[in-house]
Amino acid sequence: MARSGRGLGSERVREALVGYAFIVIPMFSFLVFSIYPLFYALYISRYEWGILGKIEPLGLENYRELLRDDLFGKAVKNTLLYTAVVVPCQMALGLGMAVIVNQALRFRTFFRAAFYFPSLASSAAITAIAIFILSSDGLLNSLLGTDRAWFADSDTALPSIMGLNIWTTSGTMMLFYLASLQSISTDVYEAAAIDGARTWRTFWKITFPLLKPGHFFVLVVSVIGSLQLFDQAFIASGGGGGPNYATTTMVLYLFQTTVQDFRFGYGAALGVALFVLIFTLTLIQRLLFGRTEAA
Amino acid sequence: MRRKHFAFVAALGALVLLAGIAASVTHGKSEKGKQTAAPSGTVTLAGWSVSTVESALLKQVIKGFERKYPRIKVDYSALGDYDRAMLAKFSARQPPDVFYVDSNRAPTWIKQGVLEPLDSYIKKAKFPVSPFYSKLMDAFRVKGKAFRVKGKVSARKIYGFPKDWSPLGMQINTEMLAKAGIKAPTTWAQLRSAAQRLKSRNAVPNGKPICLAADWARILAFVYQNKGSFLNASKTKATVDTPAVKGAIDFYLSLMKADLLDIPAKLGSDWCGEALGKEKAAIIFEGNWLVPYMVEKFPDVGYKTFPMVKGKQQGNVAYTVAYGIGRNSKNKEAAFTLLSYLVGKVGMKTWTSKGLALPSRKDVKPVAGRAAFLKAAPYARPWQFAAGFDKVMTVAGNEFSAVVEGKQTVSAMLKKIQDEANATLRRGG
Repeated sequence: MARSGRGLGSERVREALVGYAFIVIPMFSFLVFSIYPLFYALYISRYEWGILGKIEPLGLENYRELLRDDLFGKAVKNTLLYTAVVVPCQMALGLGMAVIVNQALRFRTFFRAAFYFPSLASSAAITAIAIFILSSDGLLNSLLGTDRAWFADSDTALPSIMGLNIWTTSGTMMLFYLASLQSISTDVYEAAAIDGARTWRTFWKITFPLLKPGHFFVLVVSVIGSLQLFDQAFIASGGGGGPNYATTTMVLYLFQTTVQDFRFGYGAALGVALFVLIFTLTLIQRLLFGRTEAA
Repeated sequence: MRRKHFAFVAALGALVLLAGIAASVTHGKSEKGKQTAAPSGTVTLAGWSVSTVESALLKQVIKGFERKYPRIKVDYSALGDYDRAMLAKFSARQPPDVFYVDSNRAPTWIKQGVLEPLDSYIKKAKFPVSPFYSKLMDAFRVKGKAFRVKGKVSARKIYGFPKDWSPLGMQINTEMLAKAGIKAPTTWAQLRSAAQRLKSRNAVPNGKPICLAADWARILAFVYQNKGSFLNASKTKATVDTPAVKGAIDFYLSLMKADLLDIPAKLGSDWCGEALGKEKAAIIFEGNWLVPYMVEKFPDVGYKTFPMVKGKQQGNVAYTVAYGIGRNSKNKEAAFTLLSYLVGKVGMKTWTSKGLALPSRKDVKPVAGRAAFLKAAPYARPWQFAAGFDKVMTVAGNEFSAVVEGKQTVSAMLKKIQDEANATLRRGG
């Protein structure tokens, strides 16, 4: 009661200043390297734009071309298919592993590290190794007794990348789930145990629903990551997105358009389309999971 | 209160941004002040490097240059991920003074205005164009005003001089050839019968008689042999959807269907050179780059290079890389002095002395054993289409792989490529 209103205010101001001082550098780089390019891309997408800059204004022609573009359609289809398969698998695997390593197991720390390990390796290195393993005279074929060139066959090229990424990134998903799992109060489990609930029932009736914020976070991260698939597709196909367009993803196509053909305006339009897609999907997820839980 | 904080942060951010802009502006000004008239100073040279031996050779050429022109210093760097690195340098308007220009990249780079036309420098230095193989020069010339150099008329703008080149040759495993008891084929019909013989004698037990990728960079040689082409001579219309092109593709597919040919991926290889090395193929079609590769990776595999087979006519693809000068180069006079030495008789002789590359000048003799390649010089056409053709070639490559998998017909593929190519030509890249 002794403190005056003004004194409280100045302390709050000081606290706030310290807070802003901490975020000023990341905020600055966020504005300069993320927000500014985002709006600049919107601007560029309305021009024919080359290496040395503006060539001519096109209005919405780049977007109209996008709708007619066969290759863009294929890229969207591949990207969505990839996302539809990879996201549920990643989530299930991540959750499964998190539940396992959340128990009082022997060597628990070892398993946690081991499950997370693939996420540490660079995707480029893993893809390069996968090329050897999946080649027609590679390890996988000698195990299976076949001679399929997995990356060179349009039926198996994308599924191969799917498998590769489910394996490497589920460790990260496990980490997210583990954090959520540990935030569930043990009281609930004790109550369930007293009521005589079995393990399976406890998982479905208590753990799974209480993980809702965790589900939302993992889903959003996983969907965004999947929609941005690039490096594995680029390396496995040598940049061409083949065979038979099987590994042409939206970001790979964007890369080909800008970096190889120098069509920056059209590339920016592609980027905007990708942004709209990611934004819409995230919005839908947020609506599905409800606003309060998501926060 | 919140709003005030935000204003403070925004002000701070704006200040930092302004400081950055001011710094870059003053930096730009100081750069402009340094203009030199006489060819002297430092010239930056950039390219990519395939091996340490190759880099050492180039450094040897540069040393020779610096001895001859002591006033010019050369700052050479081999760039990784060359196209991307150059894109960044071009858009920053700070390109190297002299750099590699791949024939396939040239139309796009020329159209985007990042290459300096060399005509005035050629004229001033009286640098002769005629010693270069004309077909290779064509890759770096576009329509322009006529001018005379040493009495000869050059009617086109020149954007680069080829530093070296290679066409495709036909490499055959000599042991397998002997086992089949045949001579090297010279025609399409002989190629088929040679492959049949190799197969019936089981001369390639672990692979196929022929390795040939479903790649336009290889099949185009056969298209030319069949009197077909990708674009018309003036590069204004696609000529892919024609019987001549279809004939070449059909020939390729018929060999594949008869189990005489396969793509490298099916032979456990990244490319056909590896398939030859692993003895999974007896006949392949590669360029001079195969020679150092085989010496390094598969020195025990005996093979010989023969001229490319012939169809209705001789046909081959020439892979060539030129030296060009950046339009935003700060020292163009000195840059041209360096360029003219690198592609000059002395420079090229050193550069090609180890056989890593073939000379693009008629007056420089290649090392021994390259006769099969050189025969293609009069008719090999540069690997080049038109500006913005990367997407067309991506479509062409994907369609071709679909055809090989039996998921697309040859006619539908050719129509699709034709439409894509014409759309790109109409758009102008």
